[in-house]
Amino acid sequence: MTTTRMRVTRALAGAVLLSLLAACAATTDKTTAPAPSFAPAQPVGVKNPAEIPSAAAGSQNNCDVRHSSLRPASGNPASGPTLSAIKSRGRLVVGVDQNTYLFGYRDPASGQIVGFDVDILREVAFDLFGDRNAIQFTAITSAQRIPAILNKQVDLVAETMTITCDRLQQVDFSSVYFEAGQRVLVPKDSTATGIADLGGKTVCAADGSTSIRNIATAASKPVPVSVPDWTDCLVLLQQGQVAAISTDDTILQGLAAQDPNVKLVGDKFTDEPYGIAVNKNANDLLRFVNRTLERIRSDGTWQAIYTKQLQAAAPSPPPAGYRD
Amino acid sequence: MAQLTAPAHVAPPVRRGEVNRVTARIRSTPGRLVVVMLVLLLVGLLAGTAWVIGSAQRSSAAGGARTGGGRLAVQAQELYRALSDADATAAIAFLSSGVEPADLRNRYQSDISAATAALAAVANGGASDKAAIQQISAQLPVYTGLVETARSYNRQGYPVGSAYLREASGLMRGQLLPAAQRLYDRETTGLQEERDDAASLPWLALLLGIGLIAGLIRAQLRLSQQTNRTFNAGLLAATLVAVVVVLWNGIGWAVVAAHLGAANRDGSRQVELLAKARIAALNARGDEALTLVARGSGASFEQDYAVQLGTLVSGDKRSGLLDRARAAATDGAVRASVDAAISDVNAWLAVHKKLRAADDGGDFPGAVKLAIGAETDSAATIFNRLDGVLAEAIRATSAVSDTRGAEAAGAFGGQTGGGVLLTIVLLAGIGVGYQQRIAEYR
Repeated sequence: MTTTRMRVTRALAGAVLLSLLAACAATTDKTTAPAPSFAPAQPVGVKNPAEIPSAAAGSQNNCDVRHSSLRPASGNPASGPTLSAIKSRGRLVVGVDQNTYLFGYRDPASGQIVGFDVDILREVAFDLFGDRNAIQFTAITSAQRIPAILNKQVDLVAETMTITCDRLQQVDFSSVYFEAGQRVLVPKDSTATGIADLGGKTVCAADGSTSIRNIATAASKPVPVSVPDWTDCLVLLQQGQVAAISTDDTILQGLAAQDPNVKLVGDKFTDEPYGIAVNKNANDLLRFVNRTLERIRSDGTWQAIYTKQLQAAAPSPPPAGYRD
Repeated sequence: MAQLTAPAHVAPPVRRGEVNRVTARIRSTPGRLVVVMLVLLLVGLLAGTAWVIGSAQRSSAAGGARTGGGRLAVQAQELYRALSDADATAAIAFLSSGVEPADLRNRYQSDISAATAALAAVANGGASDKAAIQQISAQLPVYTGLVETARSYNRQGYPVGSAYLREASGLMRGQLLPAAQRLYDRETTGLQEERDDAASLPWLALLLGIGLIAGLIRAQLRLSQQTNRTFNAGLLAATLVAVVVVLWNGIGWAVVAAHLGAANRDGSRQVELLAKARIAALNARGDEALTLVARGSGASFEQDYAVQLGTLVSGDKRSGLLDRARAAATDGAVRASVDAAISDVNAWLAVHKKLRAADDGGDFPGAVKLAIGAETDSAATIFNRLDGVLAEAIRATSAVSDTRGAEAAGAFGGQTGGGVLLTIVLLAGIGVGYQQRIAEYR
């Protein structure tokens, strides 16, 4: 009895509610003017389409990036004008990224900048001062890496930086300390299987990076969109404002680790050997950095850093190559 | 006249006799008296109407009927302040390691509810910039959504959180704050225009009144020549009433203009300077925090910080907003507040310099401590004191502006009712005065 009554009451209430809703919908349709639309929020500094870094004019491709550095000094390793200036300062000043997950990022819990690049630089500080904390980090964006070296704001830059012939015109690089290659990151439900499927689609990369140029010159002709930081690309992808992100697999893995709804697709379609940037007038520092890299390749430190920061089994480190 | 003569050309001659009769009656002495009476009654009615309607309009303008006595401007300013403070607070909360402190979370929440309340008040109060209200209503939820996304990523330790915060701040600074600024500018201008309307000279009522007095005097001189009586009681009363009307109008105008001048000088003009100063300080605070959050890409925020503080206090001690507010201050307590604000700005600049040196020197935790720490010499402490001092000075000067505006509206008191009454007496005087003379000819 009670249940029947309740059922009837419920049915009645449902009917009333439905008719009210219908009435509401009807009135809204009639009375509201079309709502004005506003442009969606975007990361500050987004460029669509991106400005492509000057590649055409005076572009250099006829150099050997894997044999562009200088051999560690044979005599007293820590002598030289740049090294003694750093020693008297008491700390190494380096430029790193604070937004590239796994390679150089600020850990929100501790407030410290950590990552693979950061740990490699700490090894240089250790060889110079016997203290991995005798180091000062300056967070810089991709586009600021070369200017920061040129105006001597920092001694070294380790920021997922590919050794290229163009860059070798302006700065020196250490021997290769990491081998990366450009791939593509898309939403899980995307049908794209590589850069070839992204013709006419928007693809994001950081301003001033080699990736943005590779996107612009890809045969499938995607539309390059640039932002100041790599994480800005992830924001754009999550908000559906770009179809894909394309850059070094290392950076993409860091982005994918922050969002389970994206996937890496396609093979590496570029070679991106990473080096530590040094001022061209600091050969003593360059040789010293290469000496540290020789040490960590041979004593297992490189592998330990790889395993700790990238949380994967370490491959063998890239071999050193020098021009002298 | 043209209308009278034009049909006369085409009209049959039978009518011409009637027209002549009318002209003859007007030319006769009693006819003339009726015409003069009608003219005087008409001018009297016009003068009275101009006065009554004009004073009613200007009284409501002085009271700020359209802008709610500047309350809309105050709400629009509160909207801007709350939005700007939310932006700065969200950035500062992001600087603290781990989970944000509860007091910053609360401050952000109360900023958002204050902004929403002010937005509703401005919208319901009939603010003129509907497009700005629509834009803020549409984009404020987007902003808060981005801030919450940034928060949840930050709690998980993912750096994409700070990218969301930068996007949120870009939306706030690029879209929401400019819209709130437009709203505030429109309402401030609206109040000023209303007050200018109220303080304008009621020239129509005054001209008609003076014309009426002249006409009444002339009519009485004519009458005393034509008759043996020196005075006509009705017309004399009407003349006196007309004089009262003109004086009341003129003196009333002078009093209202004085009150509104005081409202601007002691109130709204200072409110405007202080409100601008407070907003510049808030923007600078956001810049300071965002320089630390953005790191690497923070140079533009640091430049903006210098620009904002430069508008507050300038090197020549004259052209900065606070310098001008100090010069404009008419109240001792307000001047003391502005002095305190100026010394806080200088203290803040000094701490900021230390903070930047720490950050540029790689001591990020030290810089953050200087920016958000609770120490007495931290930028947070100094900024909060500065903001409090400015808020108090704005409150004090707004109150003066409101009081003087209300006094101005009060100075119109009785003008409408008195105007109706006096106009009736005036018209009655004219009518009675002439009726006696006209009756003598019958």
